[in-house]
Amino acid sequence: MYNNRLLSTMRKLGGAAAVAVTALAMTPAAFAQEEKPYGPDPEQEIRGGVLTVGSLVEPPALDPFHQGADARIRVTTLIYQGLFYEGLSGPVPLLAKSYEVSDDGLSYTFSLREGVKFHTGQDMTAADVKYSYDYLRNPDNGSPGAGDLNTVASIDVVDDHTVVFNLEQPNASLPVTLGNKYGAVVPVGTFDDEGARAALNRKSVGTGPFKIATYETNSFLELTAFEDYWQEGLPYLDGITFLYMPNSAALLVALKNKRIDFARLGRPQDSEQLAGIDHLNVQRWASLGQKPLDLDSNYGPLKDVRVRQAIALAVDKEEILQAALGGYGKVIHTVPAGMEESWGVPVEELEFQTRDIERAKALMAEAGYADGVEMDLTTITGYDWMDPAAVTLREQLSEIGITLNIKRVDLGVWIDNFRNKNMGLTFNDWPTLPDPNMLFFRHFHKRPEGADFRNWNNDEASALLDAGRKTSDPAERKKIYAEFQKVLDRTVPTIMLFSADIVTVANERVRNLYQHPTGWYFGLAKTQLAQ
Amino acid sequence: MGSYLVKRLAASLLTAILSSIAVFLIVRAVPGDVVAQMLGQSGGSGSQAEEALRRFFGLNEPLYVQYLDWLGGVLRGDLGQSWVRGQPVMEIVFKAFTVTLQLGLMTLAFATIIGVPLGLVSGLFEGRRIDTAIQAFNILGLSAPVFWLGLILLIAVSSLFAWSPPLIYRTPFQNLSDNLSTLLLPMLSLGLLQAAAYSQFTRQCVVGAFSEDYVRTALAKGLPMRVVFAKHILRNIMISLVTFMGLILIQILGGVVVIESLFALPGLGRLLITAIETRDYPVVQGALLMVVFSALLVNLLVDMLYHVIDPRVRVDA
Repeated sequence: MYNNRLLSTMRKLGGAAAVAVTALAMTPAAFAQEEKPYGPDPEQEIRGGVLTVGSLVEPPALDPFHQGADARIRVTTLIYQGLFYEGLSGPVPLLAKSYEVSDDGLSYTFSLREGVKFHTGQDMTAADVKYSYDYLRNPDNGSPGAGDLNTVASIDVVDDHTVVFNLEQPNASLPVTLGNKYGAVVPVGTFDDEGARAALNRKSVGTGPFKIATYETNSFLELTAFEDYWQEGLPYLDGITFLYMPNSAALLVALKNKRIDFARLGRPQDSEQLAGIDHLNVQRWASLGQKPLDLDSNYGPLKDVRVRQAIALAVDKEEILQAALGGYGKVIHTVPAGMEESWGVPVEELEFQTRDIERAKALMAEAGYADGVEMDLTTITGYDWMDPAAVTLREQLSEIGITLNIKRVDLGVWIDNFRNKNMGLTFNDWPTLPDPNMLFFRHFHKRPEGADFRNWNNDEASALLDAGRKTSDPAERKKIYAEFQKVLDRTVPTIMLFSADIVTVANERVRNLYQHPTGWYFGLAKTQLAQ
Repeated sequence: MGSYLVKRLAASLLTAILSSIAVFLIVRAVPGDVVAQMLGQSGGSGSQAEEALRRFFGLNEPLYVQYLDWLGGVLRGDLGQSWVRGQPVMEIVFKAFTVTLQLGLMTLAFATIIGVPLGLVSGLFEGRRIDTAIQAFNILGLSAPVFWLGLILLIAVSSLFAWSPPLIYRTPFQNLSDNLSTLLLPMLSLGLLQAAAYSQFTRQCVVGAFSEDYVRTALAKGLPMRVVFAKHILRNIMISLVTFMGLILIQILGGVVVIESLFALPGLGRLLITAIETRDYPVVQGALLMVVFSALLVNLLVDMLYHVIDPRVRVDA
């Protein structure tokens, strides 16, 4: 029961992807023209009002350059802007108007939008773009986004509204990287001052439709509409107030009593408690997030590919989805639900995606574990879905002689394990951007180019990832990544289980709501509030 | 009294320093630091960005250097800056403390107004029906977990009156009615437990006093009950009641994490939780130091009060 409009948009875009984004030699790149930044335009014009949003998570800080937390990205997408918007079928121009790629794919020329102003009142120019991305990519500045730009060799200003990015090696996903996740275009010299990072919590310096009015730690964040915003007529709201309330029961009570207009639920199944309340609209949206079972190829029995394959064959994803989220999600195979249309491989072409206990048992016996084997499964405290999923998985794997010991760890401990490439067998929760290079490269390319958290060390896959990164022709790209997904399926460094639905609840006064599959609040730029 | 104060303060200072070392080491013993949190899932170990951030926060220095740096700041009245927010820790912690302090004082007042009279009545009428009824209330109050009570109150009030508390905390000076409506339910959730505890404690004191010789003598002399109660019993149990008051306040100042999260109050407990989650060491240290200091201060005040209540108590003894 997905939101119909969203699904049909996705379908349309999936089909259009073949003709769009044809970044051929020195020709202006075509974009997915149907898709507009921040979601569909409203049918009628309603202006004014302050939207109150309840949020279970609070951004640790509002600095888009140094804070990697998803809670930060959700809101700063309304305050700061990159050169592109994260369109579902490819990047949509935002502060860039268009771009050209050189024959060798090593130089990207971006022409910038004119008449863009910063919240500080200054005009945005190419010098600001160069400053911002030079700052972001310099590892000494400590940005989590620096790694994504490591193919950039230099950035040159041509004139006030033209800037050239020179690359060390071709990177077809450069435009996606210049989106809204890490960094943004900010005025030259923003970080010169010692206290600049902290100052970003009080005063925004972006180009986005909203600017910061007040930010109270552990309480609320007030944004007001930016009066000189460059997109004609946007935003519709006078302001947005985010209320940070860590308890989900209190969030539901606040929705019922109209203390808040809009919220994203932490657990999709909580929406059942709101059934039958007239003034609330509950909507389900496809998500780019994916919840996998990750398998570390250095961990005990998982060193043997046959054991990994056996696990893949023994897992019943539908049952885990039911247990974990009451069915509020979509079973996936080798890409998240939000990318299935554009990049997925039909399940018939994948060998280890359909449950087959007999074959799994045979593989276990072949690997020398006919008498069974014990393994630890790590779950993370605070990720509610993992506990029921773990118990269900333990039952399923017991059918092929695997005994799972469930180990719950604190997120900090888990991040340490993962950064030290010591993942073992673990549940995970990954967000992504709608681009296969962004989804796969860092995770699965062997070291040192990628991080290869699962110690997969697969040459064939790495070669495909290299090819995919270099290729900008969409059809060719799709073929390469389909091939990659087959390797992923066959050698099982990860078993993607499902994508959880993003469930939003809004008061009936809220109009033209759109939820981007990243989970970020892009859509609020076009949201309206009826009086 | 002067020399007593000096001694007490010196002892308090020693306690504060020892607890600051404990706090300093404990927060650092938790796996994963602020850098790992900031980089999230994006950076592998040993990346350049990671080293740059570690240098930025001074995490590359040996532990004792970090501690002495911090302690030096504390002694100069500077708790440092939040690593995550960049604001002065003093400012963040003080703001949060005022919220928790107000909640604590309101809860204390509620618990005293409800709990002490109930306890006195129940003690006076030991074994009667009214005593049984009050004891039933006590047991209920003592056994209901605070988060459960808070949740039940929130849901009950919401479905009965279609009302829930305002979600933005305002200080009493900004908007008194909003301030009180925000704090009403949290106060009740904490207050019922404390009132029950206070009532039970008061009852014990009264019952105990009745078996004391001086009370029996007074009653045997034929003094009316109200005189015995007011002059002998109440006066004598007052010290214990004030001590208990201090304990309640300290307990609230140090442990309202759950209620503050449930009712979205920007107090000290919630600040601690978010600071621990983001491994914002300076804030964790500052907030815990605040808890320790306020506990010491409340104890000191209670000691002073003894002297006021009963001049025979020599505070320099």
